[in-house]
Amino acid sequence: MIHFDNVTKVYANQNRPALDHVSVDVDKGEFVFLVGPSGSGKSTFLRLVLKEERPNSGSIHVAGKDLAKLSNFKVPHLRRRIGCVFQDFRLLPNKNVYENVAFALEVIGKPRRFIRKVVPEVIELVGLEGKAHRMPEELSGGEQQRVAMARAFVNRPMILLADEPTGNIDPATSIGIMKVLDRINRTGTTVLMATHDAAIVDSMRKRVVELEDGKIVRDQSRGVYGQAY
Amino acid sequence: MRANFIFSEVWIGLRRNLTMTIAVIVTVAVGMALLGVGLMINSQVSKLTGFWSDKVELSVYLCVKGSPFDACKNKGAVTQEEKGNLEQTIRGLPEVESVKFETQAEAYKNWQNTENNTLLLSVTKVEDMPESFRVKLKDPEKATVVASNLKGQPGVSNVVNERDLLQSVFGFMDTLRNMALGIAILMVFAATLLIGNTVRLSAYNRRRETGIMRLVGASNIYIQLPFVMEGLIAGLIGGVLSGVLLILVKIFIFEEIQTYMVAPLGWDTVAGVITGTMAIGVLICVFASFVTLRRYLRV
Repeated sequence: MIHFDNVTKVYANQNRPALDHVSVDVDKGEFVFLVGPSGSGKSTFLRLVLKEERPNSGSIHVAGKDLAKLSNFKVPHLRRRIGCVFQDFRLLPNKNVYENVAFALEVIGKPRRFIRKVVPEVIELVGLEGKAHRMPEELSGGEQQRVAMARAFVNRPMILLADEPTGNIDPATSIGIMKVLDRINRTGTTVLMATHDAAIVDSMRKRVVELEDGKIVRDQSRGVYGQAY
Repeated sequence: MRANFIFSEVWIGLRRNLTMTIAVIVTVAVGMALLGVGLMINSQVSKLTGFWSDKVELSVYLCVKGSPFDACKNKGAVTQEEKGNLEQTIRGLPEVESVKFETQAEAYKNWQNTENNTLLLSVTKVEDMPESFRVKLKDPEKATVVASNLKGQPGVSNVVNERDLLQSVFGFMDTLRNMALGIAILMVFAATLLIGNTVRLSAYNRRRETGIMRLVGASNIYIQLPFVMEGLIAGLIGGVLSGVLLILVKIFIFEEIQTYMVAPLGWDTVAGVITGTMAIGVLICVFASFVTLRRYLRV
């Protein structure tokens, strides 16, 4: 599903590569934690999957497509198959829960009938039934992140990228978030989650890929977070 | 493509930047109106030029009794012989196409038709009017040469090149047109910058939305269209206002001076000018939005 082959990424005006000859394979339906300290290249990895950045060398395949050969014109279509969740939720403050989720479908031109059908289903899947008409500011951090996950998942993506989704959320609420991610993973969606949260990684017992200074230092199935940093 | 989504985004964008939008509309309206005025003057001038270029001729006035011109002083009226010689000379010139003789009676009649001063009309007699040869040239450009050639001939009081009279009118209109076009260009430049600024503000205001649209895979056109539409609508409103201004200019200025213009400017020309300026206004707005988008909205 995601295939990195010897990928190196150096940002302009920087000597040290953000990713240094990284090769990883993530299969369909896998749940993978991407761990490592700040600046180890986790976010760069996610941005490369989205083709927000281009690698300096190496090849990347996502959902069967060689990103180097994917024209800019087709990048939006790639992104429709990838859902994204961030630490800072990125909800639209002037839209309620339903509208925030529906926005993701509206802007890719889905018919209204379809939107009216699937949005309530997804809101229920993330555990926000009955809160569809709340505004983001009326929700807790955990609830806001559920809205963001609903928005990321509403178009049934093949891949869900989560960049520190529990970074702004207390540990108790984080468990709920992880349950939603697990539920999404069980529908067959590949989940790739970058995180600092050792407790969560340890409790989930999923595959762990550890990055340090842009290099993969560990790739372990059913792994734990590892040494404290 | 969901039209009401685009339109609600456009409406929000325009309302948020209301002052900038108004600035764009006013600049486009004034700029395009000036451009239109320039084009209208231009077509008025070319119409007049076309009208006069067939008619332009040299008037070779002959001496009458008591003529104040130096050439006739102390000589009295032109003699029959001089007239005959002169006609032969003129006809002999290679530049001349045709010659017409205007008698004193004809000159008096023509003058009566154009003169409004009743006192002058009552004291002027037919005998005061000069006889003249109306000389039509094959090439109006040669008028000066021919005029200086004929000036010294006996019996000639004066030679008037009608083109010289028209030239001063055309020169004035050319200046007006150039000024209108010059200001129009400045206004178009200002409008372009204003639109660029509006789009930049708009892109900044909507950076959350556009960021999410990018992430969920909205196509570039879907992301950019609201911004371009904002420019287009502002340009369109400005264009309509400039059309109204041009109609006013036609009614209050061109209709007024029409009495002096033998070839008046028709409404069809005005309609053409309005359509043209509106199209240019809209194109400039859309172009400016598009160019600034490239800079401020990464897709």
